[in-house]
Amino acid sequence: MAWLAWAIAGAATVQLAPSPVYVALIIGIAWLIVEVHAPDGPYRRAFPALLAVGVVFALIRVVISALTAHAGIDVLMTLPEVTVPRLLGGFTLGGTVEAGVVLQSLSEGFAIVGMMAVFGAFNAIASHYELVQSSPRAFHELGVITTVALAFVPSTIESVSAVREADRARTGGQSIKRGRILRSIVPVLERGMERAVALSESMDARGFGFAGSTRGDLAAGWCGLGALLALAAAFVALVGRARPAAIGLSVAGIALLVAATAFASGRTRDRKRYRHRRMAGIDWAMVACALTAPLLVGLLGFGGEDSLVWHTTPLHWPTFEPLVALALIPLLVPLTRLPSAARRTDIEMPEPELLPTAAPVAGS
Amino acid sequence: MSAISYAGVSFGYPDGPLALDDVNLEVPAGEILLVIGSSGSGKSTLLRAANGLVPHSTGGRFGGDVVAFGRSTRTHRPRELADVVGFVHQDPEAQFVVDRVEADVAFVLENLGLPEAAMRRRVEEVLDALGIAHLRDRNPATLSGGERQRCAIAGALAAAPDALVLDEPTSQLDPQGAEDVFAAVGRLNADLGTTVLLAEHRLERAAPLADRAVTLSGGRITTAPGPTGAVLADYPGAPSVTRLGRVLGWDPPPLTVRAGRTFAAAMDRHPEPSADAPDPATRGEVMLRAQGIGVALDRRPVLHEIDVEIHRGEVVALLGRNGAGKSTLLRILGGLLASDAGRIDPRPTTAYVPQDPNTLLFASTVRAEVTETLRLLGRHDDGAVNRWLEALGLEDLADHHPRSLSGGQRQRVAIAAVAVGGAELLLLDEPTRGMDAASRHALERAIAQHAREGGAVVLATHDVELAARCATRAIVLGDGEMVASGPAASVLAGSLFAPQVLRVLPPFLTVEAVAAAMERT
Repeated sequence: MAWLAWAIAGAATVQLAPSPVYVALIIGIAWLIVEVHAPDGPYRRAFPALLAVGVVFALIRVVISALTAHAGIDVLMTLPEVTVPRLLGGFTLGGTVEAGVVLQSLSEGFAIVGMMAVFGAFNAIASHYELVQSSPRAFHELGVITTVALAFVPSTIESVSAVREADRARTGGQSIKRGRILRSIVPVLERGMERAVALSESMDARGFGFAGSTRGDLAAGWCGLGALLALAAAFVALVGRARPAAIGLSVAGIALLVAATAFASGRTRDRKRYRHRRMAGIDWAMVACALTAPLLVGLLGFGGEDSLVWHTTPLHWPTFEPLVALALIPLLVPLTRLPSAARRTDIEMPEPELLPTAAPVAGS
Repeated sequence: MSAISYAGVSFGYPDGPLALDDVNLEVPAGEILLVIGSSGSGKSTLLRAANGLVPHSTGGRFGGDVVAFGRSTRTHRPRELADVVGFVHQDPEAQFVVDRVEADVAFVLENLGLPEAAMRRRVEEVLDALGIAHLRDRNPATLSGGERQRCAIAGALAAAPDALVLDEPTSQLDPQGAEDVFAAVGRLNADLGTTVLLAEHRLERAAPLADRAVTLSGGRITTAPGPTGAVLADYPGAPSVTRLGRVLGWDPPPLTVRAGRTFAAAMDRHPEPSADAPDPATRGEVMLRAQGIGVALDRRPVLHEIDVEIHRGEVVALLGRNGAGKSTLLRILGGLLASDAGRIDPRPTTAYVPQDPNTLLFASTVRAEVTETLRLLGRHDDGAVNRWLEALGLEDLADHHPRSLSGGQRQRVAIAAVAVGGAELLLLDEPTRGMDAASRHALERAIAQHAREGGAVVLATHDVELAARCATRAIVLGDGEMVASGPAASVLAGSLFAPQVLRVLPPFLTVEAVAAAMERT
């Protein structure tokens, strides 16, 4: 959970200080933390991929705004223009491409990459299952299913490369393009299906869903779904820079629904959890530290610090204020910590000597 | 008291014939019962019925009753039997829910809602019982097959079930992994009295472990449960030491090499090996010559300075532990992977069959699957299709859907589909994984035939019995280097790779050779 707080703090800081200078610093911090803390595995390897996704989004954004936003100054080049019919919005596509607009959207796009870096770092470090364990009872089943589905992604990628190699093997090493999609997709899907069936059998045989759900669970489930939707709405409102009223409304909605969820699931019996990690003092310290970063940056913003946001008209280099960089230091705090106990790094240890008789396992 | 009892159980999958036909079986508490039979004999179905996966998760028509520790599967779903019957599937990859071993072991306990303190204790005990405490923080995806399967058993065992159902737990594992799993199962049975219901094809290790065995064929019990030795005496897929005992009239038939040695020491006269062993000097012309092959994958050196010559008419067995570079060498010879160093000249036409046949199969019938390869190569040759279907004993299955076949049958289809292209050199990667005796015989026949017709075959395999039966030459790889190379008999002799017959009655490699020698005298 401490990592969740770190991720929220990081994301909030990116929002508060979207100037490329500071975003670059935050991406650096996220990268460093992944290098130090992330256990080796598919999620760690997914970190660069997530960054790449962020870059693609950012570039799309640059192209769209270069084509649609026009102010008429610092023109780079002029393209033929089309005005969309009024019914569809009536804006102009093409026309002048302006340096200010391009740089502005580039910097906004870079902020998206920054968000992806923070999210990617969180994804690489936090144990998804632990996160599910900490979620309210009502989300538990849904959460387990989601983590299982996530685990299928790397195995499917592996499967695709094996199938492609098998396809080349069939024709003695040469690859034949015709019909290759079908030849690849069918085995991948069928392998996935067989694996999914085996997994569902294994889960069933291990008592998944043994407890069944009560009416309280169901109520909590619906409230939780509502809260998730409200969260999505709030995110869209934030990214879209909607009016404060809309943001406030969705935040209020989230608060209300989360409270309802907690109330509904609080009335059902407690779910037993194995080695449920409670927040220790050091975790709270980490949360507090991480949250000071956006707080400090926010304070600087109120105090009239104008290097936080980079305005590209008139054209000038983004400015750097050492004070803001200092305010980002709390985000580095997790580096000083040892990896959490539940996520010790994978160290090869020698096979222990086995005792001839194991301790008797207690009957249930 | 019987732990699991089947009373008149019949079952048919939806739209399928009967997979179980009036099965009556009692599994006494504390026993290890071995279920044997060829692929498609109903072993898996029988095991799945023990905790109600059949019929609850499969659907279909179910008759009779299965009672596990007083609970009928008619009224109890698998999740309600999780505390008395643990189930382990043959594919070690497909049964992990959580990406950390320790949490995955605790999964069943959380589902059953045990108090937290009891969970802690149970998990520690189970980790120790299976010797996987050092793996507790690992992601199962990063473990070896044997480690993974032991973790899966721990996941089933955490609930302290009174019975453990293991459906071919070692068919996807290398010999070391299989050894580890069986050692763990034996220890559980001995220490905790856990009842074990075990289905297996490869009986060399499973047979000595079992108290009793039962054979299944066409969904019916063909040999009533009896002492393992007696049941295996007439079974074609018995371990080779047992079949050797059958040929030499040893009674009771030995199940282990040690028992076989005792009999062999008591023999007054050993059979004489025949003198007309094939002379390695008369090998055919060189078909492939690879020199100084070296390759690194992910910046890790996998092969180093490998020289290989393959002659016409040869069957070469490539041996070595997991990760020694067998598959990599095979893929380089097959032209699927470029080597960093060395050269291959001459290079014949090759056909590589991957370890997992499922990566290849996509057509709707076996015949279409085999024909497809020729279509891709722009040829049309029904003769070749029929020849390979026949060589691998697939004529009767030609109109079946490849996905409806057993693992061993699928492997044969994959071999036919790749070999039909007419390549001179066949490269088979671990071809006997999950194969029953019938599939193995068909495969051995096809390999011998291809070599006789002037082709050559390279097998990367853990299966020394296969190597002993069909290889003319053996190469041992260790840590990416060539450790030994020479005639199969001399490489296999005296090494830890020796097949059972060689260990009991040297210098014979196979039961067939002993039988032939006996006939001569």
